[in-house]
Amino acid sequence: MTQHYLLRNRDVQDIDQFDVYEANGGYAAMKQAFETFKPEELVAMVKKSGLRGRGGAGFPTGMKWGFLPKDGRSRYLVVNSDEAEPGTFKDRELIEENPHQLIEGIIISSYATEASEAYIYCRGEFRRGAEQLKRAVKEAYDHGYLGTNILGTGFSLELKVYRGAGAYICGEESALLESLEGKRGNPRLKPPFPAVAGLYGGPTVVNNVETICNLPPLVTYGAEWYTSMGTDKSPGLKIMSVSGRVKRPGNYEIPLGTPLRTLIEEYAGGLLPGHTVKAVIPGGSSVPLLMPDQLDTPLDYESIVKAGSMLGSGGCIVLDEQVCIVGATARLVKFYREESCGKCTPCREGTYWMTDVLDRVEMGKGEPRDLEVLADVADNIAGKCFCPLGDASLGVLVSALKHFRHEFEAHVAEHTCPMGARLYDTVNH
Amino acid sequence: MIQLTIDGQEITVPAGTMIVDAAAKLGIDIPIYCYHQALGPLGACRMCLVEVEKMPKLATACTTAVSEGMVVRSKGPAVDKGRRGVLEFLLINHPLDCPVCDKGGECYLQDYTFEYGPGNGRFQEPKIQKLKDGPINEFVLVDQERCVLCQRCVRFMGEYVGEGQLLLEGRGVETVVTTVDHVPATSQFTGNVIDLCPVGALLSAPYHHKGRPWNIEREESVCPHCPVGCTSKVTAREGRVIRMEGRPIPDREWGWLCDRGRFGYDFGYHPDRLLTSWVQGVETSAAMATRQVGQWIQETINQDGGSAVGVIMGGTHTTEEAYQVQRFAREVIGTENLAISRSEAGYLPRALNGTFDDIKKADMVLLLGSDPYDAVPVVHLKLRERWLRYSALKVIGIGPTRLTRDTLPGQDVITAPEQSAAVMALALATQRPEDANVKTLLQALGDFSPSGVSPETLTELGVQLLGAEHLVSLWDGMDPAMGMVLAVLAELREKPTPILPTFGPANWRGWERAGFSAHFEDLTRILEHARDGIIKTLLVFGADLMNEYPDRALVQAAFDRLDHVVVEGVQPPEDSPQVDALLPGATWAEVYGTYINMEARLQVAMASVQPPGQARPVKTYVNTWAHILSHPLAWEEDWEPFDEDSGELLPLHPAPLHVTPLKVPAAIDGDMILITGALIWEMSEPSEILLPRIPALPGRINPEDAKNLGLDIHGGRMRVSQGETSLVTGMSLDPRVPKGLLWLPQRMPGVNTLQPGPIVLSLAKEEVTA
Ligand SMILES: Cc1cc2nc3c(=O)[nH]c(=O)nc-3n(C[C@H](O)[C@H](O)[C@H](O)COP(=O)(O)O)c2cc1C
Ligand code: SF4
Ligand code: SF4
Ligand code: SF4
Ligand code: FES
Repeated sequence: MTQHYLLRNRDVQDIDQFDVYEANGGYAAMKQAFETFKPEELVAMVKKSGLRGRGGAGFPTGMKWGFLPKDGRSRYLVVNSDEAEPGTFKDRELIEENPHQLIEGIIISSYATEASEAYIYCRGEFRRGAEQLKRAVKEAYDHGYLGTNILGTGFSLELKVYRGAGAYICGEESALLESLEGKRGNPRLKPPFPAVAGLYGGPTVVNNVETICNLPPLVTYGAEWYTSMGTDKSPGLKIMSVSGRVKRPGNYEIPLGTPLRTLIEEYAGGLLPGHTVKAVIPGGSSVPLLMPDQLDTPLDYESIVKAGSMLGSGGCIVLDEQVCIVGATARLVKFYREESCGKCTPCREGTYWMTDVLDRVEMGKGEPRDLEVLADVADNIAGKCFCPLGDASLGVLVSALKHFRHEFEAHVAEHTCPMGARLYDTVNH
Repeated sequence: MIQLTIDGQEITVPAGTMIVDAAAKLGIDIPIYCYHQALGPLGACRMCLVEVEKMPKLATACTTAVSEGMVVRSKGPAVDKGRRGVLEFLLINHPLDCPVCDKGGECYLQDYTFEYGPGNGRFQEPKIQKLKDGPINEFVLVDQERCVLCQRCVRFMGEYVGEGQLLLEGRGVETVVTTVDHVPATSQFTGNVIDLCPVGALLSAPYHHKGRPWNIEREESVCPHCPVGCTSKVTAREGRVIRMEGRPIPDREWGWLCDRGRFGYDFGYHPDRLLTSWVQGVETSAAMATRQVGQWIQETINQDGGSAVGVIMGGTHTTEEAYQVQRFAREVIGTENLAISRSEAGYLPRALNGTFDDIKKADMVLLLGSDPYDAVPVVHLKLRERWLRYSALKVIGIGPTRLTRDTLPGQDVITAPEQSAAVMALALATQRPEDANVKTLLQALGDFSPSGVSPETLTELGVQLLGAEHLVSLWDGMDPAMGMVLAVLAELREKPTPILPTFGPANWRGWERAGFSAHFEDLTRILEHARDGIIKTLLVFGADLMNEYPDRALVQAAFDRLDHVVVEGVQPPEDSPQVDALLPGATWAEVYGTYINMEARLQVAMASVQPPGQARPVKTYVNTWAHILSHPLAWEEDWEPFDEDSGELLPLHPAPLHVTPLKVPAAIDGDMILITGALIWEMSEPSEILLPRIPALPGRINPEDAKNLGLDIHGGRMRVSQGETSLVTGMSLDPRVPKGLLWLPQRMPGVNTLQPGPIVLSLAKEEVTA
């Protein structure tokens, strides 16, 4: 098994404690960054490393940093720790178990982007994570790693931890900024992008927790180390969250390009005895299903797209033969119906409609034409929403209708779940 | 400029134009809900989907700016399906209320569904249920089930007006529009959300269930309640005005109205409306009363000549009506004693008059005694829009109270009462001490130095006054000296210096154009001559002199002395036994005519209904009297008094500059000093609909004074005394009013029994115990 970089908490006990973190090489990268890099050299290094955003879209981080206009306005770094995508739980481990690593990453990133204020937007439900972060931030301040004129470098950084109020949409960067400003968490019109007009209209970098956690090892080991792993276009390491009926569900740090099969069978120990893979949602609840014959797909941004899905946030949900696809789809679409912010019509109304139809079909009360309606409603949502959440609600549904149409039809024909799965009455709740 | 093709037609538009606006220029209608040019793009409803070549997905025409060589298709299978889909989504949770919805027939959801929508529904699930007919405030109802969540209302109130009293609550399909903390919205501009709402979700409470598109008539009109003259539409049903809406005019007006104007349309149906004629306290037939008045006029002419008759114009009369009265007065009676009922002493020559277009270009705005929010509300919105678009806009208030606001921030030069003109002149002198006009202004001031305004402030103000590129002044018209200083300023500056007079009456410029003097001195002279027995008969048209003229004692004395006081109008003047004849008049919405607003712009208001009871247009009275006086007037058919068309400005006439030295402002002693100002809610035409919103505490004092006087922090009733006279009124706490001052609305009944100056304030004990 590979060595841990971001998940060193797996190997070092109590690394969430300042002393332990520092004793194990923590904050050395920060000092090294201050001593040996100018900000623009750090940006160049990140560009060279090919690090891509781990929040879902996989946008090259160095390029994003490069978009900041050089107009003298003070800049913000906002760390997205809103992780609410079903099946994804990597950021949670990173903040709960090793908060100083994130803080060190934030200091390095702020130094590189010349941001003087940073925020961690923490998912409201992550109570322990927020407490860990707040404590660690205070320790960093106490040790002079945050605040004015850090270690006499002349570089100053204020870092605050902000807790969300429980909305998936606030993980979308512009809705996050609205929420951080104390407004209703609705996504903003883009352009302008946050780099130009972000928090309070100022130039802002928004990055995922995992993205930022890559910075300390990147500084320590260098860009070549990073590109030595993964593929050309998807270099480096990615944490995958594996769930489902596998032997060892959990987070795994893998070099990008590792085959899906390796992740499931080796890292996660394969399925529990007697179970087989029915389908896999490889990148969090928003992405289409991969089928058992696609298990050899390498887990990198490009290969998964080629296979018809996306790497997304890295939430790998393994569905086994006992899972009712109709039920699973109904649950996931319902999540989006609950989390739709309501700003735009297709997402707001469409997810509501699909949820009701799916519930009915799951409960055996569907009609044959429901499946046509579902497909057409999905088509009327697809590509017509204000933000990606609307399309995200379709990933599983559309692929399930394609690969498992017979299961939907069986529910309609037999007026019940042919698999005898438990029925949830979730209509309109 | 950017060139693009839409549906095969080429068009060139400025960079930054959205596809939807470019299409509109070609006459191509792209359906929209959330987009509004005044509010900018939002991209929420997704109704405006179009196909753009080289774009992978359909684009929203309201958020996509044009680019060179762009090829747009607003029709075609993909667009049609997209639109049908969005409409179907909007309909799944939309109640089947059309037959009972006030917006039925005026609704974008109906229209678009008819044009682009799905033939029938596929949705079988239960619809979400939400609040119906809930209150936004006294005037506006919300039906949350009908809402398409376009956010126009929320954005208008929050971003545009700056009073974020509406919000979206809840998430996803459960989202609703409601008020902050569920308390009624108090802004002056709430009614606009009814017009903005594309569907029947925001409704006019007074219009609720009162009309349907097929049994109403809508006519173009103008709001008659203040000099802004907002363009409007009047809805009438069965001879009754039942609604007023805003009327947008491309490139000029968004169609905003203030709540006072929008909902005050019912003054014609007030229980006190004068519907019959009265002669010396006895109700008589219209014919008898008219004849009697005619005889009085004849008697006066016979005994003392035509000039013993005075004629005063006021109320909501149109310019044409004023013209008819003026011809009668000059040609038949033979009098030159024609004046307009004024409340302020200042006057603005046409030559200095600016337009609302100037606000769009302004880099600096002076608020001279005038708080537009209170006096001319929709102008406040125009100023705010300018500030939203041009954040460097400088707003400077000059007057005894703060005139800038949270919604229109700037700096204030607080002057002692009646010292503003001198402050302005001294500020000019810091920059142009050698200018002849400035010298004349200062000639008599000696070493006067204004209280509370430092020399540095004067210099800074002087620099700004002369440095501004496009300086727009809003002037309350209180102090004629300020008018002169403004004329000097305009002469001095080489750059535009437009002035917008915020004083009333609403149509004073029209009546002036029709031949009445708008000079306060002429009004005063007529009243003085009446008091002194020189004028024997006074004909008052529409005006409520007792409350409008700033010195009630003079009006009282004049009325006491006059042989005949004849009042034509809509409301009987309260408690005036001296009025010899009361003649019911037709009013706004009952006659066709022209109003000229504070820009000197002509605007036509159509007649929607017949005058009720014995009420009749001015022309009827005038013609009858002309007959009695054996001098019938000939009127041309379809006579139009102007060469200009509706919407155009009055021609400019250069006004000679006549500068006289400013007087040294008199020192005003006293612990408490009364000042007055305009408040839109207190301006004539009583309305029952407005009643719940007429401020219960119209007076304003500084919180510290209130505390010292023992007033509750929520305000309360106080007695204002001045010599023998006193008045009890509600008082609110207002930090914008400096210590030692009491602000009262100048047109509130009874206020003109007091004079600006020292007063004594005390808690109204009788009220406290009652
Ligand atoms: C509906 C939605 C939810 C999202 N949730 C998250 C999230 O919880 N965490 C996250 O880092 N990014 C999330 N994103 C992606 C962010 O918008 C943004 O792309 C990301 O934070 C950028 O960081 P990165 O470049 O480091 O990936 C979400 C996007 C959408 C559309
Ligand atoms: S797609 Fe529309 S409704 Fe859905 S979350 Fe995004 S903006 Fe909100
Ligand atoms: S109430 Fe009307 S204006 Fe307001 S969001 Fe709903 S549909 Fe739009
Ligand atoms: S601002 Fe004046 S003219 Fe306009 S609606 Fe209000 S009262 Fe009428
Ligand atoms: S009008 Fe374009 S999205 Fe609403």
